[in-house]
Amino acid sequence: MSNQKKRIFQIEAFQNRVVVDPKYAEKTWKILVHAIHEIYNHNASGLSFEELYRNAYNMVLHKFGEKLYSGLVTTMTAHVKEISKSIEAAQGNLFLEELNRKWNDHNKALQMIRDILMYMDRTYIPDTHKTPVHEPGLNLWRDNIIHSGKIQSRLLSTLLELVHRERTGEVIDRGLMRNIVKMLMDLGSSIYQEDFEKPFLEVSAEFYRGESQKFIECYDCGDYLKKAEIRLNEEIERVTHYLDAKSEGKITNVVEKEMIANHMMRLVHMENSGLVNMLLNDKHGDLGRMYNLFRRVPNGLAMIRDVMTSHLRETGKQLVTDAESLKDPVEYVQRLLDEKEKYDGIISLAFSNDKTFQNALNSSFEYFINLNSRSPEFISLFVDDKLRKGLKGVSEGDVEIILDKVMMIFRYLQEKDVFEKYYKQHLAKRLLSLIVKLKTACGYQYTSKLEGMFTDMKTSQDTMQGFCSSHPELTDGPTLVVQVLTTGSWPTQPSITCHLPFEMSALCEKFRSYYLGTHTADIRSHTGRRLSWQTNMGTADIRYKSNFWEGLEKMLAIMACVKGKNVLRKEPMSKDIGEDDSFFVNEKFASKFYKVKVGTVVAQKESEPEKQETRQRVEEDRKPQIEAAIVRIMKSRKVLDHNNIIAEVTKQLQSRFLANPTEIKKRIESLIEREFLERDNSDRKMYRYLA
Amino acid sequence: MKRKDTVKLISADEMEFIIDKDAAMVSQTIGNMLTSPGGFAEMELGEVTFPEISAVILEKICQYFYWALQYSRGKETEFHIEPELTLELMMAPNYLHT
Repeated sequence: MSNQKKRIFQIEAFQNRVVVDPKYAEKTWKILVHAIHEIYNHNASGLSFEELYRNAYNMVLHKFGEKLYSGLVTTMTAHVKEISKSIEAAQGNLFLEELNRKWNDHNKALQMIRDILMYMDRTYIPDTHKTPVHEPGLNLWRDNIIHSGKIQSRLLSTLLELVHRERTGEVIDRGLMRNIVKMLMDLGSSIYQEDFEKPFLEVSAEFYRGESQKFIECYDCGDYLKKAEIRLNEEIERVTHYLDAKSEGKITNVVEKEMIANHMMRLVHMENSGLVNMLLNDKHGDLGRMYNLFRRVPNGLAMIRDVMTSHLRETGKQLVTDAESLKDPVEYVQRLLDEKEKYDGIISLAFSNDKTFQNALNSSFEYFINLNSRSPEFISLFVDDKLRKGLKGVSEGDVEIILDKVMMIFRYLQEKDVFEKYYKQHLAKRLLSLIVKLKTACGYQYTSKLEGMFTDMKTSQDTMQGFCSSHPELTDGPTLVVQVLTTGSWPTQPSITCHLPFEMSALCEKFRSYYLGTHTADIRSHTGRRLSWQTNMGTADIRYKSNFWEGLEKMLAIMACVKGKNVLRKEPMSKDIGEDDSFFVNEKFASKFYKVKVGTVVAQKESEPEKQETRQRVEEDRKPQIEAAIVRIMKSRKVLDHNNIIAEVTKQLQSRFLANPTEIKKRIESLIEREFLERDNSDRKMYRYLA
Repeated sequence: MKRKDTVKLISADEMEFIIDKDAAMVSQTIGNMLTSPGGFAEMELGEVTFPEISAVILEKICQYFYWALQYSRGKETEFHIEPELTLELMMAPNYLHT
């Protein structure tokens, strides 16, 4: 209210003239046009930004925005057309440089103009939905320069010419190329694609078509591939240096198609240098290169794989039918092993362990190994031979390695049972021949037990058959395999009671009655036969269907509730039951006449770790016993010197074990630490009991 | 005493105001003036003349710049405008794009 009296704001303070005088607009516009000219002529310094900005501002404010905008477009068009002429006039090599320079100028001018006309951009343009200043600027450039009849084709051919020259080994101005290409990209990705990329790809295809044709005539496979690889890398590098990143995939496709896909067949089958040659000569480098290049084209790897497979089958077939190697089975198998190793090497070193190639290898081996029906026999002879050699001092490790390799070959056999048959025979023959040799060397007595063992095994087999056939109802329950051993033939060990689960003991009883039943009429024995179960020699296969580990552990613990020696032999031999442990209890029962200590048939080596473990356990058990003894003694004596303690403790524990003085000393130290005892301050050898 | 990071604003009645560039850049227009390529006079000389803005207004505008800077840095105070300046002052932001 009080303000009205003051009347300090006056409209004349509003300095902008509210004049809708067209002359004013014309005048203002002239100033701006002049400025634009100056800008394009690099004369802008000295111009007042503020003045120009204000003029443009005023025009827009006074509704002359339309005039401003259209005037701007007209002016810029004129300028750009002039620029076009100057570019066209450029001679030879200067063409690109001129284009580049003018483009930079244009961009700068555009920026300046946009800055002065900022107000228009902010207000007039959005209101009228026209495009902001810099867009007509770019469009003008595109229409009048890039698509100008005289420039368009010249630009393209110049660019392509440069690329071609670089491909033939010349050095070109990559920076300039990059700028021009960027210009095209700035004008729009469709410009880049239509005005450059597409023709570029076409020309490149032609180029590589020609080049690949030339190369394939004069280079061998390995060298050709090297060249192709070089070209491919070149193109990738070109893209990083001066092309749009999106072009990379497209140009590599071109190279792959022209240089590789189109000549795949011919390359692979090239005489003396193609795939087969590379395989034969273990040319890992070339093979690896072929793999890497071919994997880029459709069906490339398939082709390599197929050729490899058919070659492998051919050579494999020759291997197994070659008359020479058929005479020597060990040689035969060795050659198979060598071939397998060779291809394993190729696949891992050159074909990057490609699974499909691995599979092809496997199927080929399977194919030709089984062409020869004697393969299983030969393999078993080979194994036999190696095991025999193993005894002669070749290191066990080496033999293991060889056997592993043989196992791989073995897997290819379709008639694995044939192998088994042969191998059994060979093994048996070998054992028997060994026994014969021993007999000759050491006399009948020596070998009678061995022979007895063999006889027992055979007899047991028959007995089992009889048992099973007479008790058909037992097929569902746990299976029992019994070996009846003659006392005396077999090595002995103390047998310990084993509490068998109900099902097992029932089964055992059935067997016992069957056995004794069939032998009551035995003339040989006077007192009849007696069976005693040697469970410590047995193994059991437990199949426990349960998800609860604790249940299994419990059951295993029950089965193994034997004092001292476990009924279950565990692998690995450790106290704890681990997930991967397997238990073996296979009932081997035995003996007529008396209970005889029958030892385990388990190889002696295995008890070694077990022995050590037991030893350790025992040591641990002794420690508290020693400590208890020390405390007892000290409690009664209160004060005692070192030597006497040792003597007393040893005496006390005598009935159990012989205490080690060092161990006793250690225990004393430990007790001192835990403040059961203390050393006397004056005499280090005296100990005092601490209540 | 013209340091590099200042700029001189000159009013219609030839009053000179030297302010920090940071403050001046609060106005996008002034910012453009100073950074536009092409060597406009303003950038060359480091000063901008406003023949249509009076000293009183220009002074207020400068004060506004500093206040805006402070405000953006967290110091939230009020910007006091004398009522008699209001109308003219209104046009300034439009012109200066601030």
